[in-house]
Amino acid sequence: MTSVLNKKLAALTVLALASCKAGGDYQGMEYAPNMYHSVAYEPYTQITDKDAGRWVTSIEYEDGHAEYYNSNNLNPHKMNMRMPPPHTVSRNYMPYRLPADSLEVAAKKVSPLKGDEKAILAEGKVLYEIYCDHCHGAKGEGDGKVATGVTIDGVERGFYAGVANLKGDAYKNITEGHIFHVITMGKGLMMPHGSQISPEDRWKIARYVKSLQQ
Amino acid sequence: MIRTLRLKYLLTYLWIFSISLAGLAQEIPTDPAIIKEGESLFKANCQTCHRVHQKLVGPALADVYNRAPSIDWIKAFIRNSAAVIASGDEYAVKLYNEYNKTQMTAFTGLKDDQIMAILAYIKDETIKGPPQAQPQPGPAGQQVTTGVPESYLNVILIGLVVILVLLVIILGFLISALKRLIDQKPLSEEDRELVHSTVTLSTVVRSKGFLFIVVFFATTLAVKAVINGLYSIGIQKGYAPKQPIAFSHKLHAGAYEIDCKYCHTGVLKGKSATIPSINICMNCHSQVKTESPQIQKLWAAADWQPETKTYGPNQQPIEWVRIHNLPDLAYFNHAQHVVVGGIECQTCHGPVEEMEVVQQYSLLTMGWCIDCHRKTDVNAKGNAYYDKLVELHSKQSKQPMKVEDIGGLECAKCHY
Repeated sequence: MTSVLNKKLAALTVLALASCKAGGDYQGMEYAPNMYHSVAYEPYTQITDKDAGRWVTSIEYEDGHAEYYNSNNLNPHKMNMRMPPPHTVSRNYMPYRLPADSLEVAAKKVSPLKGDEKAILAEGKVLYEIYCDHCHGAKGEGDGKVATGVTIDGVERGFYAGVANLKGDAYKNITEGHIFHVITMGKGLMMPHGSQISPEDRWKIARYVKSLQQ
Repeated sequence: MIRTLRLKYLLTYLWIFSISLAGLAQEIPTDPAIIKEGESLFKANCQTCHRVHQKLVGPALADVYNRAPSIDWIKAFIRNSAAVIASGDEYAVKLYNEYNKTQMTAFTGLKDDQIMAILAYIKDETIKGPPQAQPQPGPAGQQVTTGVPESYLNVILIGLVVILVLLVIILGFLISALKRLIDQKPLSEEDRELVHSTVTLSTVVRSKGFLFIVVFFATTLAVKAVINGLYSIGIQKGYAPKQPIAFSHKLHAGAYEIDCKYCHTGVLKGKSATIPSINICMNCHSQVKTESPQIQKLWAAADWQPETKTYGPNQQPIEWVRIHNLPDLAYFNHAQHVVVGGIECQTCHGPVEEMEVVQQYSLLTMGWCIDCHRKTDVNAKGNAYYDKLVELHSKQSKQPMKVEDIGGLECAKCHY
């Protein structure tokens, strides 16, 4: 009788261990789960279920939540991250104060970049390839994959109409200040990219675009 | 005499008429060379917003030379549309309002004959007519799959197994029936032995050797499964959770070749690569595929107001599911690896640009980290920070400087 029980137990262990593997929605079995689940607020993890991880809970938290719970009750949506308070800036950051419609004023701004022109252009090229070329194309001719569209398995996928050909007549004579302002604030159909690219990087891209246009 | 006079009058009349016609509506050239020039001009300047047969950002330009008030009007509008609209020109104002008050870029540099060349190209294309219909795209947000889906394969497999088992049973019946049939006939001793063999299936199954083999294989398999199971504890490789919005990296990073860093902007600056904020999605999806239900989820989260092109106050965070979960006790910094180390995203994250649903590609165990720190040369070229370290290292060793040589295996580098 005991041997039968033992056999059943062994079979169950094998089955249970076989299901440790992660895949799909299943994250897999954690070794020492307390170490995976941070006590401090984790910016990119939010567990709102107060009973999650009850079985490994050894600390008595004030509000009675279990080990895995990780949400900030004081924030909107109980998120662990929060938007910066309005009208504040981070240290050493100079806000760009020109409003979106002041393109003419912005165009007169002179690039603050000085020094090794070759290095600036090399960095500008790297940044252009990250942030611009999927629309404006590697040479600025408005022929990036997003602008022209792609065909997958014989099905044409959508494309973003109205991407400027930076070598076209209308853009040939724009200044670096103009380019900087358009990246920051957007223009026409292009949405503002100021949140993604730091001001210094934007000036580098502007310099590189000018070199493309020549 | 009178006749010739009449002919003269007629000719003069025709001549005057043709001149006045040219003055009123300038003739659009039909010379192939000019059309060719117009084509390249159109592609360089107009194509971003216009097509000949398709309404894009601006109107379809087919037949524009007949539609617009005059050729001169077209020229004025191309050179400075703002001025034409500001002058209160009825047709221009109507156009401006029809296209959501989108201002056409001013092409001040285009000369008269260049504009005429563009018009020549448009006229040529108008006469040619629209190109052949393209294959229709599949339903919104869905991939057209070919072949048999996986669930069907399983059903087919089970069906085949059932058929096989049935066949075995039928064969068994057949054999026993045949035996009975043969027994009714007189048989020689040899044949009788052949039919009633002492070595039957049941004697084989009950033999000790067979039992040993079965037990041996079963135990080996069980032990192997246990070891595999134990090794998979704490490893989340293969984790591919369903996300709230079915974002396809295969489409965005693969087909459209959008750089990883365009969206994951933190990767060059700090510890986390960052999950893109909605405004980065909206850079394109304020106008691309806006009718798709997936994009509608995005719009709802951003509280996007398409009329005013602004974000409303009722924004909701999108609850993306985190895939890569490093335990709290280990520190990892993306910028250090990507900027300083110059490591490609794919080295650790795998071919994300081929993944429809992203899954964890690497083990992310300590052994995996250490293995790489032992094998990888420090990316010291052109980085003055490492100059002295390289100098010191080259005094002691002839091997290239690995990450482990500059403290890449120190506990406190990652655990503190």
